[in-house]
Amino acid sequence: MSELLLKLTNLNVGFSEDLVQDVSLEVRSGEIIAVLGQSGIGKTTLIRTIAGLVQPRQGSVELNLPEHGGLGYIPQRLGLVRHASVYHNVNLGARASLPWFKGSREERARRVTSAIAAMGLEEKTLEPIRRLSGGQLRRVATARALAQQPKLLLADEFLSELDHTTVDVVVDAVKTLTDDGHSLVMVEHHEENVEMIATRIWLIENQQLIDMTIDEWHKKMEEEE
Amino acid sequence: MRRGFLYAIGALLLTAFIILNDLVDDWGRLSGGMENLSVFIQESMWPPNWSVLEAQSYPVCENKIEFFCSVGYIGMMETIKIAFVATILGFIGALCLSSFAAKNLMPMRIAFPFRTLLSATRSLPSLIWAIIFVIVIGFGPLAGVLAMTFYTIGYLGKLQYETYEGMPSDSLEVSKAMGLSHPAIFTSVVIPETGNHLLSQLMFMFEYNVRHGTVIGIVGAGGIGYYINTYLKLLQYDKVLALLILIFVVVILIDLLSLMLRSFVTDEGDVRQPKWLSFLMKLRKRDESTE
Repeated sequence: MSELLLKLTNLNVGFSEDLVQDVSLEVRSGEIIAVLGQSGIGKTTLIRTIAGLVQPRQGSVELNLPEHGGLGYIPQRLGLVRHASVYHNVNLGARASLPWFKGSREERARRVTSAIAAMGLEEKTLEPIRRLSGGQLRRVATARALAQQPKLLLADEFLSELDHTTVDVVVDAVKTLTDDGHSLVMVEHHEENVEMIATRIWLIENQQLIDMTIDEWHKKMEEEE
Repeated sequence: MRRGFLYAIGALLLTAFIILNDLVDDWGRLSGGMENLSVFIQESMWPPNWSVLEAQSYPVCENKIEFFCSVGYIGMMETIKIAFVATILGFIGALCLSSFAAKNLMPMRIAFPFRTLLSATRSLPSLIWAIIFVIVIGFGPLAGVLAMTFYTIGYLGKLQYETYEGMPSDSLEVSKAMGLSHPAIFTSVVIPETGNHLLSQLMFMFEYNVRHGTVIGIVGAGGIGYYINTYLKLLQYDKVLALLILIFVVVILIDLLSLMLRSFVTDEGDVRQPKWLSFLMKLRKRDESTE
């Protein structure tokens, strides 16, 4: 039986006015959910509300996650520490789930090096973040999430700016997490990426969130065409 | 837009002038002022008396280089020592308090008391702190160190929490969402992101404390100010000028040191630590290119 990780109840998100209204949904372990919709429709605000960075206008967000590092977050601008090395940034992920009183330094170092290797960034380990290209930065942010191993990862367009080969590498790495019972809620614009990874779709239209399977989404797309 | 900006500047200048006119009761006092200053400098201050860099007659100098027994060297070294210790202690104290005073790191109910504490520390000038500590522990450098430390905490603390509040929010948001602790966020995200500014503020404060060593020395808190005060009382203004020039040279050296230290953490800087020689060569090249 899959484990309940996130429960949204009658949730309204937005700032001065509602962008998305009356969302009641659950996310269980192992799911990969793609949040789709036009630009400015409220996808990022929904993700930020789940991450606890924006107050819900109404309703509640319940997280059933481990106390330390249970929630991972990759924002659009990645949120990397610019004046630090790749290792330092990836290590932040390991420190979130394995604080000093919970895990040893060696254990954290193992996680960091294997996450960096999974993203093919071994040669850049000690390089400062400001010297990396856009695609490399996205891989560092993904490596940070891999080192953290969060039960629920929220990612905002983390596959954009990546070439096809790198998308495959990143998707494979994230799938190792989801195969292990972790979940991913990702904002995505590219249909091919959604096809490749998602198991469910949250489509935002006219302030409503429609929860659908991949097949239902295909059918809707065909009807629209 | 540009015209509006010019009007705004003009209006501000006019307001300032009206207020100044209200403050000054007699503009006639300005006439002859420069002449007075010129006479005072020519007759009492110029040329500077460099005997302050020669060995004092008492106590007997046991060092081969006489300069090390001079009033200028002894006073300046004591001032630098006081300023260095006070800056380091004040910087660390300010780091501890400012991390709780920044609105983006702490909720306002926690940040507000820390901001108030820093304001209270800063509202007393270092001279008043020096008088307080001279009363509490007596004359000498320790009173100077404590006075400067307290003022540094208040002053640097404000600069620091304003720097944290101005840093990009995305890395902070990620750290908070990931559940990193406050000390982890502060040491691993905030400090690296604001390192350049913190270092710049630290060096500015050190320079400020060296300059203020002259002021707090006057109330008996040690340093070169003690000698300046003595020469002022004896009307030996030429010696005062020599000591002021010495302070000016030290301030320039600190500024160069600051430039060097900050090159460790600038965006364009090399990751490898710069060497003194390469740094000075860079300066020379820069001078040549401007010529």
